[in-house]
Amino acid sequence: MDEAISQPQQVPLRTEQDWSARLFPNNEWILLIVIAVECLLFAFTGNNFATTGNAFEITRLSVEIGLLALIMTPIIITGGIDLSVGSMMGLSAVVMGALWRDAGLSMPVAIVIRLAVGLLGGALNAAMITKLKAPPLIVTLGTFSLFRGIAEGLTRGIENYSGFSPSFLFLGQGYVGGVVPTQLFIFVPAILFFWWWLHRTAFGRSYYAIGFSQEGSRYAGIKVRRRLNFMYCLSGLLASLAAVIYVAHLGQAKSDAGTGYELTAIAAVVLGGASIFGGRGTVLGTILGLLAIVVLQNGLRISGQPTELAGILTGVLLVITILIDRLSRIGVSRITVSEEEFEVKNWQIGVLSGVIIVAAVIVAASNWMLVRSIKEQGGGATSATQRQNAVTPAGKKNVIAMMPKAKGDPYFISCRKGAEEAAKELGAELLWDGPTDLDPAKQNEVVEAWITRGVDAIAVSVENKEGISTVLRKARAKGIKVITWDADSEKDARDFLINQATPQGIGETLTDEAARIMGGKGEFAIITASLSAANQNEWIKFIKQRLAEKYPEMKLVATQPSDGDRDKAFAETQNVLKVYPNVKLIMGIAAPAVPGVAEAVKQSGRTDVKVTGLSLPNMCKPYVKEGIIDSFVLWNTGDLGYLTVYAANALSNRSFKSGDTMIKAGRLNEIEVVGDEVRLGKPFIFNKGNIDNFDF
Amino acid sequence: MATIGKTYRREISAAAALAALLVIVAIIAPSFFAPGNLRDLIVNNLPTLLIAIGMTLVILVGQIDISVGSQFAVCSVAAGVLAKTGLPMPLVFVAVMLIGGLMGALNGTLIGWMKLPSIIVTLAMLVMWRDALRWITEGAWVQGLPENFQWFGLGQSTGEIVIFMISLLLFAVFAWSLRNLIVGRTVYAVGSDAEAARLAGINSPNVVFWVFIIMGGLVGVSALLNAIRFSAIPGNSGVGLELKAIAAVVVGGAAITGGRGTLIGTLIGVALLGTIGTALTFLGINPFWEKAIQGAIILAALASDVALGRLEKNGRSDLAATTSPA
Repeated sequence: MDEAISQPQQVPLRTEQDWSARLFPNNEWILLIVIAVECLLFAFTGNNFATTGNAFEITRLSVEIGLLALIMTPIIITGGIDLSVGSMMGLSAVVMGALWRDAGLSMPVAIVIRLAVGLLGGALNAAMITKLKAPPLIVTLGTFSLFRGIAEGLTRGIENYSGFSPSFLFLGQGYVGGVVPTQLFIFVPAILFFWWWLHRTAFGRSYYAIGFSQEGSRYAGIKVRRRLNFMYCLSGLLASLAAVIYVAHLGQAKSDAGTGYELTAIAAVVLGGASIFGGRGTVLGTILGLLAIVVLQNGLRISGQPTELAGILTGVLLVITILIDRLSRIGVSRITVSEEEFEVKNWQIGVLSGVIIVAAVIVAASNWMLVRSIKEQGGGATSATQRQNAVTPAGKKNVIAMMPKAKGDPYFISCRKGAEEAAKELGAELLWDGPTDLDPAKQNEVVEAWITRGVDAIAVSVENKEGISTVLRKARAKGIKVITWDADSEKDARDFLINQATPQGIGETLTDEAARIMGGKGEFAIITASLSAANQNEWIKFIKQRLAEKYPEMKLVATQPSDGDRDKAFAETQNVLKVYPNVKLIMGIAAPAVPGVAEAVKQSGRTDVKVTGLSLPNMCKPYVKEGIIDSFVLWNTGDLGYLTVYAANALSNRSFKSGDTMIKAGRLNEIEVVGDEVRLGKPFIFNKGNIDNFDF
Repeated sequence: MATIGKTYRREISAAAALAALLVIVAIIAPSFFAPGNLRDLIVNNLPTLLIAIGMTLVILVGQIDISVGSQFAVCSVAAGVLAKTGLPMPLVFVAVMLIGGLMGALNGTLIGWMKLPSIIVTLAMLVMWRDALRWITEGAWVQGLPENFQWFGLGQSTGEIVIFMISLLLFAVFAWSLRNLIVGRTVYAVGSDAEAARLAGINSPNVVFWVFIIMGGLVGVSALLNAIRFSAIPGNSGVGLELKAIAAVVVGGAAITGGRGTLIGTLIGVALLGTIGTALTFLGINPFWEKAIQGAIILAALASDVALGRLEKNGRSDLAATTSPA
């Protein structure tokens, strides 16, 4: 590549360069400015952003991706890439879980074997790349699918290993001396090791040589293949180590561990000044790049900004960094005096400041909008409900933080409407945040940020019971009221559960509906969400149980995944219809799947096949009216969100406490409370007759 | 004949794998070849094929585009929103193609003219477009589309034929011009050796720029043709589409380093990877293994390429193939 020739640090033959050139050979100091500006911005807009606790929390969150980014640094320096590290995490997580639980091995042995698995996976990459001379991008794209696929195949997507011993969980959740997260004791030595290895040993420096020119390095006597083999094996090993920490952090080992981590790791390395063409990059730069991304995510969350901004800004930052780098290198490579270099650098700062100012304006503007909308609410505080509830002891507004399992899921979007309605009536501030797609690790991250920020109540729809309970207990210990809604955590980790329906209730209602439509006998199929979706797997368990108990003549012939994607549900249904021509009914048990199933049945022209399942009225309305969907099951999702916010608000006002048998919830009037569960009522069955009454 | 065997070596091995798969299915589950199933299979995979055509061009010039899945989602939602404003469908078609082309032009400017590494630029776009879309739509679906949206208002069977014909036409045009037009040959020239191409008077940055615009336009067409098969548009479609397309192109014999590959190969690659999922259901194999099998096929394609290459003893430099993917 041509810029390899125009490397600035090759030009001077002095043995010692300026300290700044040695420390920041690729203008990594820019990142320092970016991080500083981010910190400054969030210290003003966020609550408790600039605290030691939050600083440690940020580092904890960056450990798993950080380990991947560390090994990605030499890989990118050699001009290679490894897309398989995230999938490797998934594979080694389930291997360890299986060894520990099913094979009964002790934890240290399981960890050692799993690290060996990582090594083996790395060796496969290495062999393909150095022996077969295949491009790393394609090899690791193949193993990216292969590793994740094996992990899913081994566990059939369902298996979820949990219940690890506290001493193991301490590795990912504990604090040494009460303040320092445990995993830092692995991460910091790892950083130091990589720094020493890449910058202080001839062995490590040889990777730079390989990145400049493989051919040249070979002539210079560097054993290129061996070096690359070692590096890709180490990559597998480190991905496994990251998986150990991930499992300890979340308390569960599942095949979806580390999904998408490889992209963040690559972004961090490139942001840190490494060239994707090879030959350039530093450990310090990688760490700074990583921090710039993680601080941005954490800061936006703490200031209550939409986290989508983090992705957008990271993308912008990424493009700007490489753009500046490219332009500055064009400037340097011209044989000119240092004056022009200076100009370029001033110009760089100009662009960067511009970006940061734009980001600041976005954040400020949305804050201003928020303040304005709150003021409007406060000014119009005349309705009866507001006078009743809004006046808290100190006259302050309650901050209620509410988390869905996935923000993009239409089901949760409809819950949000009710939640916002309630918050408006109560004059409370509602924070709505969560993972964009199902992601247990992200849920923990968001709760941590809320604890740091200091909210009055947290309401969570739990994706991973074991994983989140530790964090929720921590929140309770800090005096924050904790509610679970939609799906429960461990009982001692929350004050109340807003129970819309138990998994058993859902499973039984779905089965009964299917039985009614099919007349109690015949074949049917299920289109589920992803194969590893915890909720759906729980429902399927109860559906099977109900079938065995009450409907022995009904047969479940296939369960196919839709990954929450309407188009995939459509294609899978087409297959099912052809492979199992006797199927009389198809049940979609994920909101986006049901319209896909219905469309496929409609296009097949099979009027004898009916559709049922669990979905939202607005999505299904046309199909219900055409008679393709006979009926489907759900509760009023808006009411669920509404009730959750009312309960959270009453809890923080101390007007609702353990032992109460009912709660007043605005337009829902009085709602029954049994023990520590607030019951919304039974699942509702939507059909042709009643669907027009609903709009969500 | 020997030259044909040599030129299409990779395509032939991919076709052999596809044939083997089809033979196995034919023996165990002959109902797979029912006309209805083949029709569904083809219609379902046409959107992927269109993206893969663009991806072939991108890979031929030695670049890569991992932002197509996010662009696909943006174009799908845009198609729905535009149709709801009452715009006639042909105009919607053109507008969506333009939107795709614009997103492609952004990639093309940064990669072609500014010479930034394509994997990083498109990685940034992958995140940016997806998150921007989520921010704006908040995951909501576009519903209540006008009557003439689904199947262009022509009904299912005619609509499917229209989708098929548009895709076939685009495929034929690209396959022919890539082989026979000067413009097509310059794509190969730039991918083989950008410097040599420049000395031969080809404006390499311009070629890369236009290849990305075409990629974006094809994403737009693909998104629209996919959207009109349904009566609502999800806000979050196309996740992982980029990997599907890249895998199909590579399995079809294109070299990721640029300069080698054909659209016939890409067609075979799309057919092979698109058939596996359905074939597994017909064979009664658990869907859990689908991803693993896809990965294994990519690796097998690579390995067979090397094995065949060694047999022919093409005297290329050993290390040349291991250089950076960019």
